[in-house]
Amino acid sequence: MAIKVNHISKSFKQEDKDILQVLDDINLDIKDREFICLLGPSGCGKTTLLRIIAGLDKPDIGEVHDGTGLVTGPSKERGFIFQQYSLFPWMTVLDNVQFGLNMSHPDQKEKNAEDAKRYLQRVGLENFQNSYPHQLSGGMKQRVAIIRSLLNHTPVQLMDEPFSAVDMQTRHILQEQLIGVWKRFDTTIVFVTHDVDEAVFLADKVVVMDKNPGHVKDIVSIDLERPRKRESAEFIKIQEEVMDALGVEDMEG
Amino acid sequence: MNTKKIVMPIILPIAILIVWFIITDVLGLITSYTLPGPIEVCQSAYTIFFDGRLIKDTIDTLFKVFSGLILASIVAIPLGILLGSFQSLEDFCSIVISILRPIPPIAWIPFSILWFGIGTMPAIFIIFIGCVFPILVYTMDGVKRTPKVLIEAAQTLGAKPLDILYRITLPSALPYIVSGLKVGVSIALMCTISAEMIGSSSGLGYLILTATNLFDTGTTVVGMLVIGIIGIVLDYLFRKAQDQIFW
Repeated sequence: MAIKVNHISKSFKQEDKDILQVLDDINLDIKDREFICLLGPSGCGKTTLLRIIAGLDKPDIGEVHDGTGLVTGPSKERGFIFQQYSLFPWMTVLDNVQFGLNMSHPDQKEKNAEDAKRYLQRVGLENFQNSYPHQLSGGMKQRVAIIRSLLNHTPVQLMDEPFSAVDMQTRHILQEQLIGVWKRFDTTIVFVTHDVDEAVFLADKVVVMDKNPGHVKDIVSIDLERPRKRESAEFIKIQEEVMDALGVEDMEG
Repeated sequence: MNTKKIVMPIILPIAILIVWFIITDVLGLITSYTLPGPIEVCQSAYTIFFDGRLIKDTIDTLFKVFSGLILASIVAIPLGILLGSFQSLEDFCSIVISILRPIPPIAWIPFSILWFGIGTMPAIFIIFIGCVFPILVYTMDGVKRTPKVLIEAAQTLGAKPLDILYRITLPSALPYIVSGLKVGVSIALMCTISAEMIGSSSGLGYLILTATNLFDTGTTVVGMLVIGIIGIVLDYLFRKAQDQIFW
C-alpha cells in the first residue's frame, strides 16, 4: 500500500509553555511494498512522523493518505511496532500473536491459532508459544511483536526503532529475518532508526532528517541487491554517502 | 534459616499467653471481669461453640461482610472503570467523592437505622459505604495506569474500544482492583463489628456487646479472637489471589 504524506507540521507545547516545533512541512511519497528508513538524530521528529502516519498522533497541519484514503486514526491497515515492549503481559505468546486475527476474524479461532503457530515456527519460537512475555528475552519479545503485527496481513508496517534495545548480534539476525518476512508478506515498511548501518542494510530509500525543526534533509536511494553484505565496497560507499547527507557532526552516539 | 522463620513469629504469642496465664489464673492479680484468664476464655469458647452461638454469629458476620463487599464491588468497579476512562466524568464527580470519602462509615449508622431499621440490612449498608470508596479509587487508579503503549498496540491491531476495555484495560487494572478488594475486606470487617454493636441483633459484634453487658468477658475475648482469625484468613486468601496475578 502506498502512503502520501502531505505538508505535515506538528508542534508540542512544553511544560514551560514554550512551543516546540518538531516537524516542519514534511512531504513523502512512499510506494507500495517499499522499505523506507527514517534516519536522523534524536529530536528530529522521526518518531512523531511515524506516529502521525499510524494515526496515533494528529498533525497540526497537513494530512496522510494511504491506499484506503485519509488517515484519521489508528487502524489495522497500518501496523505499528513500538520501541518499548508492547506485548500483552497477561497473554501467552500464542495469544499475543493471534490477537489481531481474533479481532478481525473472531469466527475462525482455530485457523487463527494454526496461522499463529506456523509463523512462530518460522522465527524459531514454536517452543515458546505457551510462555508469557516476561519469560522471553528482549529480542524474542520484538520478534513476537513483529509477527503479531505482520500476521494481521497489514499492508503497511510502521516500526519505531524496534531493535534498539537488543545486542548487535541479535540485531543483525533480526534485521535479516525482517527482510525475509517483508518479502514474504508484500508489505510497505517505514522503519525509524538513528543507526546508519541499520538504515543502509534494510532500506530501499533512506529519508535523512534533521532537527530544529524536524525536516527532510535528503533522500538516498539504495539499489544494492539483498542480502546485503556489510563488508562490500558498495555498502561502505553508500554508508558514507548517507553519513555525508546526515552531516555526521550532528549525530549523537 | 527456615526453622528460624517458623520459630520467630510464634515466640511472642506464646510469651503473651504465658504472662497472661500467670497474672490472671495463677496469681489472680486481675479480676476476671477486668481481664478473663485463658482458662475462662477456653470454657466460654467451649460453651458458645457447642450451643451453636459462635458458629451462627460467625456465619452471620461473614454473610454481612461478603454481601456488603459484593454490593460495593458491583457499584464501585464499573464506576471506577468509567471514571478512570473519562477524565471529564472524573472531574464531574470529584467533589462529591472527595467529600463523601473521608466520612467514617460509622457516621452513617444513624441514617442506616432510620432507613433500614434494625437487623442485617443496616449493617450491609454500612459495609457498603466503607468498601465502595477504596474499591472505586483503586479501580480508577488501575484503569488510568494502563500503559498507553498497550492500548495503542491493540488499536493498531484492529481492536475496537470495547475489545480494548475488555482485553487490555481490565486485565491491566486487575492487580489494582484486587488490592482495592483487599483493603475493602478489612474495612468491611471493622464496619461489620461496629454496626453490629449498634444497630443489630446478631453477629460477632452483637455477641461481644451482649456478653460484656452480662460480665461474661470470656465470651467477649472469644469473639475478639474469632474476628482476628477471620481477618488473617481473608488476608491470606487475598494474598493468594494476588500471587496468581503475575503481571
